[in-house]
Amino acid sequence: MENSFVLRAGERGHNHIRSDGSTSSYVAGHPEGFITRESSFNFAGYQGGRPGFGPIRVFGEEVFHGTGCGYNMHPHHNFIIACFVLQGELTHVNTAGNGMVDRLHEGDYYVFSAGSGGKHSELSITSEEMHAIYIWMMPEQLYLPPTYVRAHFDFRKRRNRVEQLIGDSDGALPIAQDIRISRLISDAGKNYTYTPRSPSHGVYIFVLEGAVRCGETQLGRRDSTGIWGVETVDCTVTADATDILIVETIMVDETRIKEWEKQHPGH
Amino acid sequence: MTDAAFKRLMCLGCGFSYDEALGLPEHGLAPGTRWDDIPETWVCPDCGTPKNQFEMVVIGYAQGGPALAGAA
Repeated sequence: MENSFVLRAGERGHNHIRSDGSTSSYVAGHPEGFITRESSFNFAGYQGGRPGFGPIRVFGEEVFHGTGCGYNMHPHHNFIIACFVLQGELTHVNTAGNGMVDRLHEGDYYVFSAGSGGKHSELSITSEEMHAIYIWMMPEQLYLPPTYVRAHFDFRKRRNRVEQLIGDSDGALPIAQDIRISRLISDAGKNYTYTPRSPSHGVYIFVLEGAVRCGETQLGRRDSTGIWGVETVDCTVTADATDILIVETIMVDETRIKEWEKQHPGH
Repeated sequence: MTDAAFKRLMCLGCGFSYDEALGLPEHGLAPGTRWDDIPETWVCPDCGTPKNQFEMVVIGYAQGGPALAGAA
């Protein structure tokens, strides 16, 4: 059975997280630093919407404002955290393996699988704002060995085709979950058919820039849609330099999400 | 006592997991402590997320996982 929801840019949860007061140990960069977060799904201070999609629990657009802003060193377990840097520079200090300090720029992305436990700190140490998309996914197994991998998406060379960045395709970063994350940068007027592995997989499409029509739904900048129970998803790009993320995922039978869907028909 | 299967829960703030079978001896919760028997005021020992933002999960452990989880 075909199911879908549409989430407009302005319907996402909004959080402004300060580097002073009660969140000062969490957020770096006092006095001028603060983080803004737009959440597609419930997360932390935002609990007013959809709990997730399949094993995805966080899909957030974050901006680190002010030199030195970011998250201080903090622990994670189990979650697989993917980050796509859109603008600025992200300095990522991570304890997975022997630990590393990574600096990511536009087009760079990482997959941090926290598994049995890892810590990280994420900072913007230049004067430019740092914009990124964060996706948190539940793993196939608990307490996996922690891993950190990273790569670069070169948008100049890979235009007008759906490019898998994370998943099981050649060259994609591996992930311990039945999930494939792709990016498409396209000119207007082009049509794409995305075929998930099976109709029981769901597809979450998020428009970073531009405009696209998915089935009957017109999506603009920062709009998104989740679709599941279909053989294919047909999209027509309707603006030049459109940039979209496509997250294909197994739809696990999550009680919390099913309950929410029952209470919010049509969403 | 109940013979219901032991549950596993995951903190939605950081991914910390609680396994009823293992408890959290390091944090004063004996193996076998049921989630329902933990006070509502309890928070994630790693990140402070409230108990009601943990989610029950049906996910198996990686090899060696239970020993590590029991010592978390």
